[in-house]
Amino acid sequence: MPLLEVKNLRKSFRMKNSLGRTSGQLIAVNDVSLNVKQGETLGLVGESGCGKSTTGKLILQLLHPDAGQVFFAGEELTGLSPKQMRPYRRRMQMIFQDPFSSLNPRMTIGEILREPLQIHRLAPARQLRERVVDLLERVGLSAEHELRYPHEFSGGQRQRVGIARALAVEPQLIIADEPVSALDLSVQAQILNLLQKFQREQGLSYIFIAHDLAVIEHVSDRIAVMYLGKIVELTNAQELYKNPRHPYTEALLNAVPTPDPGHPRPAALKGEIPSPIDPPTGCYFHPRCPYAETICRQQEPLLENISEDHCVACHFVSRVGRYLFKK
Amino acid sequence: MTTPPRLDVQNLQSFFFTRSGLIKAVNDVSFSINQGETLALVGESGCGKSMTALSLLRLLPAPGKIVGGEVFLDDRDLLRLPDIEMRRIRGNDIAMIFQEPMTSLNPVLKIGEQIAEVLRLHKGLSQKAALKQAAGLLTQVGISDPVRRLRDYPHQLSGGQRQRIMIAIALACDPKLLIADEPTTALDVTIQAQIMDLLLELKQQRQMTMLLISHDLGIVAGNADKIAVMYAGQIVEYGSIEKVFHNPLHPYTQGLLQCIPRLGQRHNLPTIPGQLPDLRKQLTGCLFLDRCSGPCAPCSKQMPQIKEIEPGHSVRCWRY
Repeated sequence: MPLLEVKNLRKSFRMKNSLGRTSGQLIAVNDVSLNVKQGETLGLVGESGCGKSTTGKLILQLLHPDAGQVFFAGEELTGLSPKQMRPYRRRMQMIFQDPFSSLNPRMTIGEILREPLQIHRLAPARQLRERVVDLLERVGLSAEHELRYPHEFSGGQRQRVGIARALAVEPQLIIADEPVSALDLSVQAQILNLLQKFQREQGLSYIFIAHDLAVIEHVSDRIAVMYLGKIVELTNAQELYKNPRHPYTEALLNAVPTPDPGHPRPAALKGEIPSPIDPPTGCYFHPRCPYAETICRQQEPLLENISEDHCVACHFVSRVGRYLFKK
Repeated sequence: MTTPPRLDVQNLQSFFFTRSGLIKAVNDVSFSINQGETLALVGESGCGKSMTALSLLRLLPAPGKIVGGEVFLDDRDLLRLPDIEMRRIRGNDIAMIFQEPMTSLNPVLKIGEQIAEVLRLHKGLSQKAALKQAAGLLTQVGISDPVRRLRDYPHQLSGGQRQRIMIAIALACDPKLLIADEPTTALDVTIQAQIMDLLLELKQQRQMTMLLISHDLGIVAGNADKIAVMYAGQIVEYGSIEKVFHNPLHPYTQGLLQCIPRLGQRHNLPTIPGQLPDLRKQLTGCLFLDRCSGPCAPCSKQMPQIKEIEPGHSVRCWRY
């Protein structure tokens, strides 16, 4: 049984014009199904507005879906009251992109880390300090940092605090929403390694949300590629990299800049990401797709298995790959 | 005979006089860019790359001050021009595009007005002629239906289109030097590729000279001719793209190149331990000392000078 199972999740937002009248509907997440096994990292990748962050929030029940179900360790979370939800909150945690706005600037690092332990009654009062110091050390900080405030830390150190806070309650699943995209390259590698270390040690599961395919590919076991609210391809990381079967995945792989001068540059994908309020007909990707034919404008392709663990939503699966640049 | 470089920066120093101490944000920076060449200024946040660019334009925010050096654009030293002449240089001879195109465009003015303004001010065109030329510029930066777009406001455009508008404004006066400060950082990857293609195409068509500021070594590898790696206000390595990428000499450059996650490689990432030194402290030795994998005897006592190791490849390190 997978630790997390998501079935046909859907979420739309009503758009209002300046007079407060409903002017349209934005379908942020459209029929998303996925699962995460224990000890596994699932990567969610896509460009802005593809629904990857909304999917994360729906899983944690921070947003309520219009339709669909979320199962955690076999229990259905959708429809639980806030009180019924509380024990699950401890088992699922989140790490955010901007570690500054997600840490209370008026609390010391010690207070930030004590709070979840107290709320979930995970340690008796006399052991609190010991637990906090232990957490700090596990994320590469030290006891002397306990009395400092978030503004005294660099971006990388703040992200370490964010990770320590998530780990404090010993969760089983962590949803990391762009955890390294605000960080410098040398610090980014430190944080990625830290996250992988905890996974090895404690069998944590991650949902890793990012726009950077190179980062996602590095940390994930399986990857779901999203475009305008839908999963267009889902498979294991190696297969996705070696054998992408959706034209959008192929374009994303090509768009990752190679740190190697003289490497030929593949042609950039044409066009802009369409508005999710007024998506194209048929396949959402067809206006930008180099393989598109008439059927793509008319009929929406379904997400179908092409092998045991490889799903793609494309009418021309067998043709894709022609434009892929090997790096 | 060799032609002199278009931009020649020698020993530029810009310091910030803050209440908590003196910060040497740009510390003895020298580089040059030939006509039609792109130099990439690379480094992590706080390394001084943007402050170097703002020093060239003499737009350093307070309490920063340029305290020394020379910045020659062709044969004129920009640091010694009167303010009124410097104003003519900005936007006319040197143009700049920024990371966030939304905050650099005026939200209450139509696109056409913002491009026409530059043409009226710097080229003395009439409003009608300026708008006509603005439409031509939009076509050049790949915006379809330019005449209609001129009547749009910035919020009606996507991030990629806004950056194209910024490029159009920057190119309006045919600048001798274009400074692009993280031009694609705020954009999605597929749009990023489009904008970099556009810049490369314009550079080839117009023989444009470009200073590209970026933290992304992938972008730099595909778009620059030369690279200057900055660390803590200093250039630590400087040379042609091929030499620096294929044979990095400085331990910081080596570290940066190793810690990029690359597609298809899933081993544990090497890291550069530690973090930037506190620049308020007066450090005597090499600024990279605490993070260096193999420091040697003089490193803690004396700051290394930048040295040319082979033609077109310099490094600031005692190992060489």
